[in-house]
Amino acid sequence: MSKTIARRTNLLLAASRERKIPYLLLGIALILFPIVDSYTPHVDFVGDAGRWILLALGLNIVVGYAGLLDLGYAAFFAIGAYTFAILASPQFGIHISFWPLLLVAAFVAAFFGILLGAPTLRLRGDYLAIVTLGFGEIVPRVIRNAPKFTGGVNGIVGTDQPKIPAFLGFHGYSFGLNPVPYYYLMLVIIVISILLIRNLRNSRLGRAWMAVREDEVAASATGINTVTTKLLAFALGASFSGFAGSYYASKLFIVTPESFSFIVSVTVLLMVVLGGMGNIRGVIVGALVIYALQSYVLVQLPGWIASATQALNIGFLNNIDVASYVQQSSILIFGVILVVIMLLRPQGLIPSAQRKVELELGTSEESVSDLRGSA
Amino acid sequence: MPLLETRGLTKRFGGLTAVNAVDISVEEGEIFAMIGPNGAGKTTMFNLIAGLYKPTRGTIKFKGKWVYPVQEFWSTYLPPLAGYYTIAGAVRRAVGAGPLPIGLRPHAVTQLGIARTFQNIRLFSYMTALENVMVGEHPRMHAQVWDALLKTPFARKEERQVRERAMEMLRFVGLERYAEQYARNLPYGFQRRLEIARALATQPTLLMLDEPAAGFNPQEKAQLMALIQEIRSRGITIFLIEHDMKVVMEISERIVVLDYGEKIAEGPPQKVRADPRVIEAYLGKSA
Repeated sequence: MSKTIARRTNLLLAASRERKIPYLLLGIALILFPIVDSYTPHVDFVGDAGRWILLALGLNIVVGYAGLLDLGYAAFFAIGAYTFAILASPQFGIHISFWPLLLVAAFVAAFFGILLGAPTLRLRGDYLAIVTLGFGEIVPRVIRNAPKFTGGVNGIVGTDQPKIPAFLGFHGYSFGLNPVPYYYLMLVIIVISILLIRNLRNSRLGRAWMAVREDEVAASATGINTVTTKLLAFALGASFSGFAGSYYASKLFIVTPESFSFIVSVTVLLMVVLGGMGNIRGVIVGALVIYALQSYVLVQLPGWIASATQALNIGFLNNIDVASYVQQSSILIFGVILVVIMLLRPQGLIPSAQRKVELELGTSEESVSDLRGSA
Repeated sequence: MPLLETRGLTKRFGGLTAVNAVDISVEEGEIFAMIGPNGAGKTTMFNLIAGLYKPTRGTIKFKGKWVYPVQEFWSTYLPPLAGYYTIAGAVRRAVGAGPLPIGLRPHAVTQLGIARTFQNIRLFSYMTALENVMVGEHPRMHAQVWDALLKTPFARKEERQVRERAMEMLRFVGLERYAEQYARNLPYGFQRRLEIARALATQPTLLMLDEPAAGFNPQEKAQLMALIQEIRSRGITIFLIEHDMKVVMEISERIVVLDYGEKIAEGPPQKVRADPRVIEAYLGKSA
């Protein structure tokens, strides 16, 4: 008996060691990347992907773990970015260092997460989605119409850049316009975020979130305070967008209300759903895929098509400008790609165990068509 | 003093009076059963006691503490906001009638020591059996958000203890082999047992079982009765709704009979069985 247990634990240990190797290699590759590829726009490009990963990880807490459909997540991103911009820019002449502001922005975003979450507590599903959609619209509008504080439509220009504290050496090096230190900063933030979110998932709170997602009535009958549980989901989900917001504001030198439109919320939700709700790895892959599609594939596609037609040198293709057609319909192509991905992998690219079972065995909530189909 | 006591408990849904002025008192340590034809208001009684419904009238006391009505600040005003900010609430305040009475919220009732199962099983389908029971431990855990985020030594220790206790509870109901199975994949009978295990994990004083034997064959019923007796021998009072007369007559010490939301009989099984009003309710009036 004890022997089999010992053998099993050994197997488990070996498996976990083996499973760690790819991550170790990935980590080394990510650290070496800016050194090997010194062309800074590439580093910049990959660093920006991190911002989306961070947003998707945060939204995953709300949507994937607690099951609260949030269509206004960009609002918290905006609040994080503006918190940083107001406290570290010439707008009010306040220049607080980047590092404490990272936490301040997260706290402010979490506070607004609670504030905006509170009125929605009695709503579920579609109704909740509509109210959060409203918040997502309200926040940029308020920012646009309060120029005294937020600079209005023009935004806040000249946000501060992070400096390495003097006592750490490097002569108080300022990040300035160089994307390489930003890249490493983002890498560190993401690694810390993943560890924190993983801890959350396997904790008392994580279980409470999942219980509320599965059955709110049963959860409350089991002694879970559904109100605080949901508010904590909103707060913690929002806090990660606070990190992303301050990173974004300091890197871009400027924040404007246009950067936080509805499309941002939808894109982040898309990353979560397409990657695999409730699964950290899935969400990261989803974020990378959507980001790569939007900012690389669709941008490069007209060029690729143009060179392909030239190489083929077919008469009638030379007469019509295929590349410009492709350029005009890039959103259409994007949509088609999404539809195809979701048709092929409805459970997401890397689904959580739960979603996998759900889709293999049919959906959790029986619909009328399920019942009628089986009869 | 009875463990659970309701006085004049009434619930109306629009024009329908589901429960009408019902007084019951459950004594500590007994197995108390509530029976009645379909639609008699039994499950409504459970939902009223558990805090899922707000009574139209009447009071509920548990261990001498008020379950309904209560005026405690947090559970009264802040989250539900019901009653206080409505028009009716404003009128009441204007005439000096005070806010509408509000009961403890379900999780607070559970924390007070009342656990329950549901008539149509409500498990957390996509969590494992072990996780389901661990959720039951939730109200007695003390790990805070920062403990969870940073996985502090305290959180680790508590998590380990809770896992062991939950495993122990699964063993008690005979499901330790299925600990890592998703709740939805368990057979029906095991799901019922798992729900009982989850309820027991909250360490209740009173366990309310809503038709625990529904859909069971005679053998499973016998096992269930043995389990209920064993739970009672651990010092937990049992309050159950059951349709199966054999089960009810065999294990319960006192029975209350509801019909059309009203209490028509109460007493030990032999007495209730012979009561003409009970026979009438179940079989109809003799000509």
